[in-house]
Amino acid sequence: MWCGVDLGSRNVKVALLREDNKFSFYVFDTIRFYREWGRMKEGCLTVDLPGLLQAEGLKAENTVSTGYGRQTIKLKGARNIPEIRAHVSGAIYSTGLQDFTLLDLGGQDSKVALVRGGRMVDFQTNDKCAASTGRYLENMASVLDITMDELSKHYENPVDLVATCAIFGETELVGKIVEGYSVESLAAGVNYTIYKRVLPLLANLKSDKIVFTGGVARNQALRHIIGEKLGVEVVVPEKPAFVGAIGCSLTAKGG
Amino acid sequence: MTKVGMTTTIPVEIIYAAGLIPVDLNNVFITGDNPQGLVEDAELAGYPRNVCAWIKGLYSTVLNRDDINILVAVTQGDCSNTHALMETLELAGIKVIPFAFPFDRDQDLLKLQLEKLMKYFNVGWKEVYEQKERLDRVRAKVWKLDELSWSENRVSGWYNHLFQVSCSDFEGDPEGFGARVDEFLDNLGEPLENSGVRLGYIGVPPIMDDLYDYLEEKGARVVYNEVQRQFTMPFGTGDIVEQYRRYSYPYGIFYRLRDIKEECRKRRIDGLIHYAQSFCYRQIEDLIIRQKVDIPVLTVEGDKPNRLDARTKMRLDAFVDMLR
Repeated sequence: MWCGVDLGSRNVKVALLREDNKFSFYVFDTIRFYREWGRMKEGCLTVDLPGLLQAEGLKAENTVSTGYGRQTIKLKGARNIPEIRAHVSGAIYSTGLQDFTLLDLGGQDSKVALVRGGRMVDFQTNDKCAASTGRYLENMASVLDITMDELSKHYENPVDLVATCAIFGETELVGKIVEGYSVESLAAGVNYTIYKRVLPLLANLKSDKIVFTGGVARNQALRHIIGEKLGVEVVVPEKPAFVGAIGCSLTAKGG
Repeated sequence: MTKVGMTTTIPVEIIYAAGLIPVDLNNVFITGDNPQGLVEDAELAGYPRNVCAWIKGLYSTVLNRDDINILVAVTQGDCSNTHALMETLELAGIKVIPFAFPFDRDQDLLKLQLEKLMKYFNVGWKEVYEQKERLDRVRAKVWKLDELSWSENRVSGWYNHLFQVSCSDFEGDPEGFGARVDEFLDNLGEPLENSGVRLGYIGVPPIMDDLYDYLEEKGARVVYNEVQRQFTMPFGTGDIVEQYRRYSYPYGIFYRLRDIKEECRKRRIDGLIHYAQSFCYRQIEDLIIRQKVDIPVLTVEGDKPNRLDARTKMRLDAFVDMLR
């Protein structure tokens, strides 16, 4: 049994790979995961993963972790690998593709990697600003008082939003609500904002196929916008949020 | 002896010829006890939040010291923020002397700039050339240190950075500094453990001082520091005007790229880290570097001093992992 743990900023994702090559998936709220199941021991985060996952027989050395938390918290006994490597490896496994551009949009991250012949050859990520990520979408859905599912349906007649900061973007959105724009147009505008932020990264590392992963990949409108605007095929794996965790469990198994 | 502040590398031979002590304010700022506190002091004085931290650090460094009342500021060949730095320091009663590296590397204009600076400090060519000989003797030791970094793997990226960056002002004491270089070279042990990944670092020196050690921890070594090496004037010319014409940092990116490409080839560099300070115009030049350099480039943006943040570490990890 091999375990992959993706310590994300919003959620901790776990992929458990069994001997019969079947996966089990688990997701935990990041803060609750650290607060309720983790404790610090000799500078390392100790989590009783076999107990938590009810996976008796899971050995610490068969666990690989990645994610934002990796820099600040080391999961005891687990081997750490860089996030982009985990995501690329999970994306190759999940799609069977060897040549593509990976777009991973998570809670705070935008990552784009160019994959050729099953190897990452270049990548770019957001750096000092998280305005094009899942957390921004959550805030905007909350300002519009709609669910994330509802937000992710709209791409037609987008309202033009220009604020460069995710926080000032909220104020701008409130202004547009007052101006009387429909919720559909406002939601489409929010989705377009994400597209515009990741476009420079995607334009630099282009492929005919984009493998879209991370929690934001569940946003159908964004999938549609990227496919239509760039004229590319957008492939979303079955479990887009677990691609990093899958990559980790494959690394645990493959050594 | 009177100290003369400098905002970046200038023809320091002229300052020494005048019997004065040059002080590279960047080095004083970043090696101080609390560089972040200096940045915050400048913000309290009214410097905007979205302005380069180096400029803010330089401003507070000068104001916090009572031994620097005169400053040579590079008005062309560095950023326009320096102009406002000069003005705000003038407001505070500091004497500011401008120095301009001509954008097109024009020999006559550059010579004129040197002559103006020499006139200000009341020195002639003879004294300046005596100082060039004196400083070249110290520089030669650092050239050796740099060569040992990439050809024999005997100097870590951090020490390569530290000794070369100090050649902007020779710590105000060329012979003392030279003796420290000698001591370091005399005590070099066996070649360092092979790091596997050989990196080049281009752009201004980093505002975070743990970058080099972090990379070594991850199995990569910086064996080329572009701008720091430029500070050592490794051009083998006896003509001081030509020396500051060949010095690449203040001139355009295309001229810098010639040097970068040649050194990358010679030093067998696997990947380049392009460092750009937040809010710096040099961030725009990143797109030219990416088009013109045919090895992988990671762009690292630094804002506040002086530790790496978690995101930058994540990006460095991925880069080293990709090159391995």
